[in-house]
Amino acid sequence: MAASITMPKRPFLTLPFLLPSLTESLSIGAVRHQSSYRRTKQRLRVKPDASFGPSQQGRDQIIYNPPSSAPSVYHTPSKFLPANDVRRVMRPAAAATATTDVNELPSVYKTQPERKYHLTPEDVEEIRKLRLNDPMTWSRYSLAKKFECSPLFIAKVCGASPEKKAIQKQVLEAVQSRWGPKRRMAREDRKLRREAWGRDE
Amino acid sequence: MKRLQLQRWSSTALSPRVRTNNRLHQQLYSTGLRLQSTVSPLQSESTISENVEDASFQNPDAMRHIRPQDTIAISLSPVEAATQSAKLAALHARLYLPSRLPLQTLARTLVDASADSNVDFNNESLATLGHDLLANYTSEHLICTYPRLPLSVTFAAMYAYVGPKTLAAISKEWGIDNATVPGGEVDPGFLQFRRVAPGTAVEDISQLQSARPYADQKKWRMTVSSKIFYDDEFGDAIKGSVALGQGVTDETARATFVRAVLGAIYLHAGRPAAKRFFEQHILSRHLNISELFNFSQPARDLARLCARENFEAPVAKIVSETGRKSRSPVFVVGIFSGQDKLGEGSGSSLMEARERAALSALKGWYLYTPINPRVPSSMEEEGAAPWKPAHIDLGEVIV
Repeated sequence: MAASITMPKRPFLTLPFLLPSLTESLSIGAVRHQSSYRRTKQRLRVKPDASFGPSQQGRDQIIYNPPSSAPSVYHTPSKFLPANDVRRVMRPAAAATATTDVNELPSVYKTQPERKYHLTPEDVEEIRKLRLNDPMTWSRYSLAKKFECSPLFIAKVCGASPEKKAIQKQVLEAVQSRWGPKRRMAREDRKLRREAWGRDE
Repeated sequence: MKRLQLQRWSSTALSPRVRTNNRLHQQLYSTGLRLQSTVSPLQSESTISENVEDASFQNPDAMRHIRPQDTIAISLSPVEAATQSAKLAALHARLYLPSRLPLQTLARTLVDASADSNVDFNNESLATLGHDLLANYTSEHLICTYPRLPLSVTFAAMYAYVGPKTLAAISKEWGIDNATVPGGEVDPGFLQFRRVAPGTAVEDISQLQSARPYADQKKWRMTVSSKIFYDDEFGDAIKGSVALGQGVTDETARATFVRAVLGAIYLHAGRPAAKRFFEQHILSRHLNISELFNFSQPARDLARLCARENFEAPVAKIVSETGRKSRSPVFVVGIFSGQDKLGEGSGSSLMEARERAALSALKGWYLYTPINPRVPSSMEEEGAAPWKPAHIDLGEVIV
């Protein structure tokens, strides 16, 4: 073989065009072939919009194909328009055709929490008593499990005692003291990113 | 041997008034002196008291604005100084000011109270008028254009339109230069003010003059609605004017000048001209109000809003997504109330997209604009259509 005599500097496997018959049998994952390049490019070749087609060429028209972008906040949703606003009457015709059924869209949450509304004022009194008397045993989560409600509801009903808060603060400080610079910075960055959501940045 | 010119040497040591007349400088300095001159010739206590006695007044402090006779005799007419300044004429033309506004008044707007304490010759009164006009025109524009805007955002927008920083920037765009030190020999086209001594704390310049009880308690929580009652149009505590001997900052002096120009236009050319000037120079500046918002819990606020307005509770639904299992996914989440979409947002996590969607829905509520909003001052125009009341509703969501 000519290739073995000349000894190219790069290995054969990265130069597949030198081995036309062998590359078929070898499974090289990350290598881009001439054939695959052509295939990828063919797939990326998107057809132009129908409005650009030859059937529309004959007559004068306005072609409007806006790029996809986030809707403007200055465009008030129809529901938020006051009752006497003219735009309320003008819009529904366009809206009715465009929207799909909302119920068919998937929800953001995997499961919807089931709301029971089963707790009585006596239960609430007991929750408060338990949390105040023995805060270490009866945490928010253990109380929520016992009374079959959400931890948020426990927090709404009663706050933690100052002693418990001080203990929890110490625990948190002990945990955070073991963080290295990387973890600390990552946590801080996460907090900053979260704040940036509220400013829509 | 070359002849020495002693007169030219003397110019560095002697002030122009003392110096002997020079062919070259005669023309320049004789017209440069003005009545508004802040460097009045040194006078002994006796001259002041004599003049005051002449006017038969008991309190010399109350008559500060009356100039001693000898000052007037020495100073030349201010009319010539203002009319002969090329800078001032250029500024008048550049701003396209009405011809009824004379150059003398424009020269007066450039003299700050710290440079000339005499209220008849500084721009303090014009600035007070201009400040009220600016606050009135801006607030009516904001309230009528965005009737649902939260109060804190209104304050921020007011500050962005007519706050001291913006006004100082405007004066720089107009090409106003500062005089290094105020004085009679200064060209009236320069902004004259006495600077704050370096190292002075900014808080110490003017005293707090708020009517709010316990105003000096800085750490106490202040409600937004109490700011309407106690504070100024930007929601900041009201401060008194600067003490006599103290200077002002560059920013304050420039802002005062811009306000004084508007006040002068109002006095000389009337309301329509002042309104036009405001629209051309203040309102024409681009301000994206949607960037002034900052929400901490938009989803909660939106739920409260929908409950208040009797809409169905808002529900977050995934509109589209890509790369859920990849390193950089993108989710597009819409917030729906019944079948109506309230807002849409995208993000790299479902929670982020949901928060952004709720935020865009809230902004959609707050940034509602009536069709062709009119402001109350538009009724002053000739042949204005009959007034229709501006849109008012509950507006801000209070959680």
